[in-house]
Amino acid sequence: MVGIMPLDDVTVLDLTHYTAGPFATRILSDYGANVIKIERPETGDPARMLPPFYEDKPGLERSGLFLWLNTNKRSITIDLKKDEGRDLVLELVKHSQILVENFSPGTMDALGLSPAKLLEANPKLIITSLSNYGQTGPYRDYIGNELNLYGMGGSMIGAGNIDHEPLKTAGRMVNYHAGYVAALASALGLYTVEERDELGDHIDVSIFETASHSIDMRLNRLMGYQYTGRLAGRQSQASAVGSGVHPCADGYFLITGGARFIPNIIRMIGMDELLDQEEWSTPEGRAHPDRIDEFLPHLIPWTLSRTKEEIRKEAEKHAVLGGPMNTIEDLMNNEQFIDRGYFQEIDHPETGPIKYPGYHFTLHRDEDQPMPDRKRAPLLGEHSEEILQEIGLSKSDIETLKKKSVI
Amino acid sequence: MTANNPTNPDDSLPLKGLRILDITVVWAGPYSTMQLADWGAEVIRIESTKYFAATTRGQMARPPQGVVDGGTSTGMGYAWREAGERPWNRHAIFNAHARNKLSMTVDLTKPEGQEVFERLVEKSDGLIENNLPQSMDKQGIGWERLSKINPKLVMLRMPAFGLGGPYRNYRTWGNHMESISGHPLIRTYPDLSPEYAPAGVPADAAGGIGAALGMLMGRRYVRRTGKGLMIEAPTAENFVPLLGDFVMDYSMNGRLWNQMGNEHWYLAPHNVYRTQGEDAWVTIACWNEDQWKSLCEIMRMKDLATDPRFKDNDSRYKNRKELDAIISEWSQDRQASWIMDKLQIEKVPSGIVMNERDATEDRHLHERGFFSSIEHPEVGTHKHVRTPFKSGNHENVGARRAAPTLGEDNEYVYKTVLGYTDEEYADFEEKGHIGTEFDPSIP
Repeated sequence: MVGIMPLDDVTVLDLTHYTAGPFATRILSDYGANVIKIERPETGDPARMLPPFYEDKPGLERSGLFLWLNTNKRSITIDLKKDEGRDLVLELVKHSQILVENFSPGTMDALGLSPAKLLEANPKLIITSLSNYGQTGPYRDYIGNELNLYGMGGSMIGAGNIDHEPLKTAGRMVNYHAGYVAALASALGLYTVEERDELGDHIDVSIFETASHSIDMRLNRLMGYQYTGRLAGRQSQASAVGSGVHPCADGYFLITGGARFIPNIIRMIGMDELLDQEEWSTPEGRAHPDRIDEFLPHLIPWTLSRTKEEIRKEAEKHAVLGGPMNTIEDLMNNEQFIDRGYFQEIDHPETGPIKYPGYHFTLHRDEDQPMPDRKRAPLLGEHSEEILQEIGLSKSDIETLKKKSVI
Repeated sequence: MTANNPTNPDDSLPLKGLRILDITVVWAGPYSTMQLADWGAEVIRIESTKYFAATTRGQMARPPQGVVDGGTSTGMGYAWREAGERPWNRHAIFNAHARNKLSMTVDLTKPEGQEVFERLVEKSDGLIENNLPQSMDKQGIGWERLSKINPKLVMLRMPAFGLGGPYRNYRTWGNHMESISGHPLIRTYPDLSPEYAPAGVPADAAGGIGAALGMLMGRRYVRRTGKGLMIEAPTAENFVPLLGDFVMDYSMNGRLWNQMGNEHWYLAPHNVYRTQGEDAWVTIACWNEDQWKSLCEIMRMKDLATDPRFKDNDSRYKNRKELDAIISEWSQDRQASWIMDKLQIEKVPSGIVMNERDATEDRHLHERGFFSSIEHPEVGTHKHVRTPFKSGNHENVGARRAAPTLGEDNEYVYKTVLGYTDEEYADFEEKGHIGTEFDPSIP
């Protein structure tokens, strides 16, 4: 039984492209929202032509990035540069509760779709604008990408080894995270309209700020700096006894701890007697930097003679904080994720059935209402007619729009 | 019903009337309730003077000076590097995320403590926790019991890996969930052993945002169905979607990307370059030929643009190490901010790698009101970040009241929220539920 999903009576008008925006609307669709993705005729969302491609052959319906970011959505092609196209969007706005866009600041205004115009069409609309630096401020028109947004906003300066260059996060994580924040912002906006009977809102999400807020706990570091006067620098993972990425029989294993967890690490490797020695017997003694190197000759032979999984089990048993350094292959074959049925297989005409990441969080509704299967990403313009009919356009209206290349 | 909520005294904040119980530890859980408290929800942290959850109000209740000195600005620091008489009120991590929240204390190991807890559940809309499932079991905190006390409750649980499965009670932090999810191996240095892999915790950040969203989804579900809801938000499962394109490439093509460092899948240049100053860096990337030509012009190396090694993106990618060396040679004597502004004017993506000082002084963040100062009774006035986005209608959301000291709101919670009398309150105090200091036996 499908049952009620939290947002299944909410329509989201999706004017996003590339990564961050589509991630935001994808999450809303996961929890039931009817997401109408407006794409440029013929070429569609540029992410359709970004790798990885299925079998490495480029094609509008073959990008793994696009397929992943647009599950559950329906696609309509509209030429926003034509007056009729703009009017169609304003008509769709009347049937929507949320609009998400991630054009460069100023673009929506130039298209005749300013917040004022949108709110005129639907005074209760939540407009979520997602951009690199926000809709205002001196960097507003700066160019942004994953690398420099993390460098400026995230804690890149703290990531890596102090003798080497700072490192970015993997892939497009900063953009994904910003999309996640935009989904939350949209939901908060919806709450104010529904629960407090407020008018619509224009929410300004800046990727620079979402990174400055949270990625790698940036806000803690900003507070820590004010508290201690110290810059974080790039702290090695090996900053306490036993902590670090250690070689083991079949790869590497990460252990972290700090003061309270050091005795657990010592017990895990069976060196309990160490704790009787004077310099090892107190938290202060164990916090001394000399202890770090003194401990390695005990620890490394122990890790080298064990596999990642053997160490993981020992770590769990001794309440040591640690984890194997996995590949994506390890992850997808991991017993926990398999046991939970986490990865979802989704069929698609170009790729056949492929495994996708699962839900961010699971709603435990009635027993007979498991989380629904996601639908594959839409083909370009697959739902144009269906959507226009839903808002009351006749077959001949739709034919006229087609002839004028509006859709 | 949140009369006199000390953190939301007037009616102007959007989530007024939403009461959330907070049994969260370390960071991912607290980061979720921070989002809700910022928007005006009444978030009540349920704490205990008898139990110290490591790494929430510091690693230890009473850290020796050696441990305090070891704490750096990664957030482990204490105000003025002093633990003081009540270290738990002076820790950077807690004081950064706990603003706008309330703190009450109760000992859940005692029967009357459980009665207090039940009364709280009865009067609340949601509960968020991110503990090891077995710790919650021990305290009898589970959906079956809570949903009977309050059938319209939303309970959101954030175990590391799930309420079921072989990893159910495997205790980890965000960085270990990430290593299991494959993140650090992808992002670490191309030419160095994975022993140099960075410690990062985007998983915790995403976990916090996701749980806040989950709570709102839950409340909307309750409004529509009249039924309560349990939501399971394992931090690891919540994080894997942020590696979605890597999962897809492996699914579709069996390809793994390991040790990429700052390299792009196919673009060059795309790296971070040393600049003038101590540990000062700038990022530079080009994704089209115009940007590449502009970069060459700004570096006054026009010949580079026609050099066969760098004539198009494929050549540049192939020879990216040589190219990086040339750019570094140029950048190292220049200021990062100068390079950023110069390149950005020509639409070349570039940015300062900002340290904490750069960020707190940044003109763009300043102009957009990203920071505001609030005063904490025990550690003074500091700059807090606002919400991670700006609302046009609600400019007053964000930092209002400093993080609560332990048990600061006991009187409000016990008397105003739960309706206990002065005599009953005194009784709870005598029985050790109410307090502002951790038990002296806790190190």
